[in-house]
Amino acid sequence: MSWLLTILVFLPTVGALAVMVAPQGVVKWVAAVFTGVTFLLSFWLYIGPLVHMGFLGPLNNTGGFGTVMSPAWMDASPWIHFTVGSLQLNIDYRLGADGLSIFMLILNAMLSFLAVIGSWHIDKRPREYMALLLILETGVMGVFCAFDLYLFWLFWEVELIPMFLLIAIWGGRRREYAAWKFVLYTIFGSAFMLGGIFLIYFMLGGQTGIYSASFAFLASHQVAGNLLVGGAAISAQLAIFLLLYLGFAIKIPMVPFHTWLPDAHTEAPTAVSVLLAGILLKMGAYGLIRICIDFAPAGAHLFALPLAILGAVNILYGAGCSLVQQDMKRLIAYSSVSHMGFVILGVAAAVGPGATNAAFKEAALTGAAIQMFSHGAITGMLFFCVGVLYEKAHIRDIDVFGGLQARMPRLTWIYTFAAMASLGLPGLSGFVAEYLIYTSVYAIYPAQTIVAASAMIITAGYLLWMIKRSFYGPLNPHWSGIADASILEMAPLVMLGVVVLIVGIYPGWLVDLLRPSLHQIIQNVNGSVAGLHR
Amino acid sequence: MSITATDLWLLSPEIALTLLALLVLSLDFVVKRKAILSIVSILGLIAPAAFVTQIGLTGSRPLSGFYGMLRVDNYALFFDYLFLLIGAGVVLVSYDYVRLYLKNTGEFYALMLFSLVGAMMMASSSELITIYIALELTSFPLYIMAGMLRNSVPGDPGSASRSSEAGIKYVLLGAMSSAILLYGMALLYGSTGSTDLGEIATALTSIGHGPNSLVLLLADVFIFAGFGFKISAVPFHMWAPDIYEGAPTPGTLFFSVASKTAGFAALIRVFVDGGLVQTSSFYLWGLIAIAAILSMTLGNVVAIVQSDIKRMMAYSSIAQAGYILVGFAALAYRPGGASQAGNAAILVFLAIYVITNIGAFAGIIALANATGGERVRDFDGLVRRSPTLAVGMALCLLSLAGIPPLAGAVSKIIIFISAWQDGGLLPWLVIIALINSVISIAYYVGVVYRIFVSPPPREDRLRVSPALSVALGLSVVAIIATTIFIQPLLSAGGLGANDLVGFLGLTH
Repeated sequence: MSWLLTILVFLPTVGALAVMVAPQGVVKWVAAVFTGVTFLLSFWLYIGPLVHMGFLGPLNNTGGFGTVMSPAWMDASPWIHFTVGSLQLNIDYRLGADGLSIFMLILNAMLSFLAVIGSWHIDKRPREYMALLLILETGVMGVFCAFDLYLFWLFWEVELIPMFLLIAIWGGRRREYAAWKFVLYTIFGSAFMLGGIFLIYFMLGGQTGIYSASFAFLASHQVAGNLLVGGAAISAQLAIFLLLYLGFAIKIPMVPFHTWLPDAHTEAPTAVSVLLAGILLKMGAYGLIRICIDFAPAGAHLFALPLAILGAVNILYGAGCSLVQQDMKRLIAYSSVSHMGFVILGVAAAVGPGATNAAFKEAALTGAAIQMFSHGAITGMLFFCVGVLYEKAHIRDIDVFGGLQARMPRLTWIYTFAAMASLGLPGLSGFVAEYLIYTSVYAIYPAQTIVAASAMIITAGYLLWMIKRSFYGPLNPHWSGIADASILEMAPLVMLGVVVLIVGIYPGWLVDLLRPSLHQIIQNVNGSVAGLHR
Repeated sequence: MSITATDLWLLSPEIALTLLALLVLSLDFVVKRKAILSIVSILGLIAPAAFVTQIGLTGSRPLSGFYGMLRVDNYALFFDYLFLLIGAGVVLVSYDYVRLYLKNTGEFYALMLFSLVGAMMMASSSELITIYIALELTSFPLYIMAGMLRNSVPGDPGSASRSSEAGIKYVLLGAMSSAILLYGMALLYGSTGSTDLGEIATALTSIGHGPNSLVLLLADVFIFAGFGFKISAVPFHMWAPDIYEGAPTPGTLFFSVASKTAGFAALIRVFVDGGLVQTSSFYLWGLIAIAAILSMTLGNVVAIVQSDIKRMMAYSSIAQAGYILVGFAALAYRPGGASQAGNAAILVFLAIYVITNIGAFAGIIALANATGGERVRDFDGLVRRSPTLAVGMALCLLSLAGIPPLAGAVSKIIIFISAWQDGGLLPWLVIIALINSVISIAYYVGVVYRIFVSPPPREDRLRVSPALSVALGLSVVAIIATTIFIQPLLSAGGLGANDLVGFLGLTH
């Protein structure tokens, strides 16, 4: 048993307690130290196994960072064992990290650290702000490394209240509305998710005689049979998939459950928008890949075509909405809807028809996973850029600016860089993900791919148009006195930019990291799809 | 036949608690400093607790005494501990309030202790008449406690008259519910020829209890209705909001935990030990399920629009009773058996509910003592006026809402899962309960929103007394620690449930 995961999850909580008692002057420093240490420790998740494998393991493709069955990191102890009468409830404290978890954990640690740095200007109740940020980090860390379905659900809910308060206290003008909308949407989804968890737990327990919610068990056993719902028989796996997916779809967010997102993103303070887009949306995508399609692959397969259509709709609808936004933050929020559609499309292809397409499916799923990472970094950058601009101008409308490049060369440069990354310029991380998804999904769902690809033009349109209108052209004299981004403000931006560049130029390490985890999922999907068509 | 020493030994916790109540009552005449009464009350609880522990450590259970009227099993011991915990919590929480507003400290504590004696008897009697007497012993002190606020609280001139009104209402409705309960018991006696639960069960297994047996159906309904008042389940909930609002706040806490816990203890005892659940057919389950759905939905929806925090807590407690009834519905679902899982889940849920409610009311009383306000909007900006009180109160409310990592989330999962696993229509009931959990967010998180987000009415620092700080602090520690170390509680609940359901060998 290694303690690293436990430390990573609960160090921020300790930090939150430290922030509560720290002297007023050093609150931000305490928060920065705790998130910083967590960030540094999180690297060991990646480097530790590499050292262990002599740096060649992942390249030799011999297991690498493990799968959900045998993850590289595991930290487990018994927790709840409730055996009364015919009920066996087994919930274990089981934290694990394979490739898929590791890179989300590092992304979370990084963005949380940058969020603290990027919130240095917060003067309104900084103590509570930092404490809530740290508790949020604990919740999200837990979601990404919980390897027991009940534990996953418990961590999933932890994030709710800190995020609610962060939006409600430090948000913009309509913060109350946005915070309530966020919390109600999320909890509504998670209630159905809990129903799905009960369903898979008891059906599998009844069929195998083993009552366990551990991920390794759920991934290696499939629910069989049908459920009678109001007299109609539907596949049990489809029911499980849909119940779980409803919770994740709201988080991703999938159209038509997306309407909380533009409000929450727009009203939240900058760093919180970064975390929302960078991390919280990924919780939904992570759940979709890790839980939905791995534990109910046959159900996912039955829903693959609707999923692909919904993914394409997400991409196109999000892009279309972005095009008409006046508010920069709202524009980026809708671009998130569009970009997260790629994840859905990739996943849909991974569970789609055709048994011979295993390689394409794996590539599509890899693309979806890389898109999660890349969108987290790029959208984080975009929100930080808008945050810097808003801090100086106190307005975010695209039209009121013009020619800012003359006064803010640094910000213009990095903003343009982020926009280029977002629209999928080759050499940056967005391209890697989208290219993988387009090329591989085309083999399975050509029509949806063509529709989705047309959105690339719109994406380029709204991003470049935004950049042109606010940063280029003649300088609007109203802004002649505006100052450029400071070094402190540039630090998180540059750091994320470097990550985007590294992934864009050499995505191989990320693919190696993910390969065993995703390979196992694709095998699971193919195995049960073959069973379905036999 | 005569009463033996063993009988007295089995009754020793109740005897010790009665003596403690008498001691407090007589000390009230001689002691000037009323703080001593609180200290005696809380330390005196160690004596009955020691007797309960001694019984728990000795020999095998179930034991019975007084010709089978008293039944001491793990189920009864679980509730004994819970009632003593309630006693300690209420004394801590009421320490300042009683001194400030009630002026008759000794009476308040003595009444509370007498009521606890009744509650402990309710959990450990297995004979209808004894249960009825125990119920009355529990209830009468409550009626008096509801009307105890004779001088109005400063800043709220109507509070004394509301308290009197609450007392009268409580007596009248309580008397009516007792009458209904007695009528149900009489019907049961008429059909089976016995008041002993074991004999009733034996008789019922031979005469049957089908849907055609109208008398037994009526008995079920009346008994459920009688206890339904105590647990404030819809449609027998009407008393709760008015009386919660009018009673002195420590009394409100006591009603919300003691009356409900004792009601459930006796309800389950009668229905399971008396064989009503095992021999009944589908309609009994349907009855309970409808009561559960109505309680949850009405409680949660109406709580949203309340402006008085005590009224809100009343509707919250109605909704919580609904969640517990989900477990009871699971217990009663299978004809020919009773689910231990449902029963054990109810015990665990009640324990966590008690701990959380003590904390929440400690917060309410602390605020009321400092500002005199008991409206929901008095919580505005509490975090600026007293950060620790605000955080503690918020954690208790979030636990009631079932937000992890607080204990309320685990207890909800356990009660829902124990209902879900029995299959059939129960998953649908659980889904309704889950949707209700979503609705409940609106008012629990609504108060949290006020505490943290809304601007405070004035910028001052509130002082929280040591006793209330201790009560709130202990509850918060308990609701976090229970999540992590829940296994002993689950084992205890399981033991209690097994004793009860295994009684007749009618489990499935």
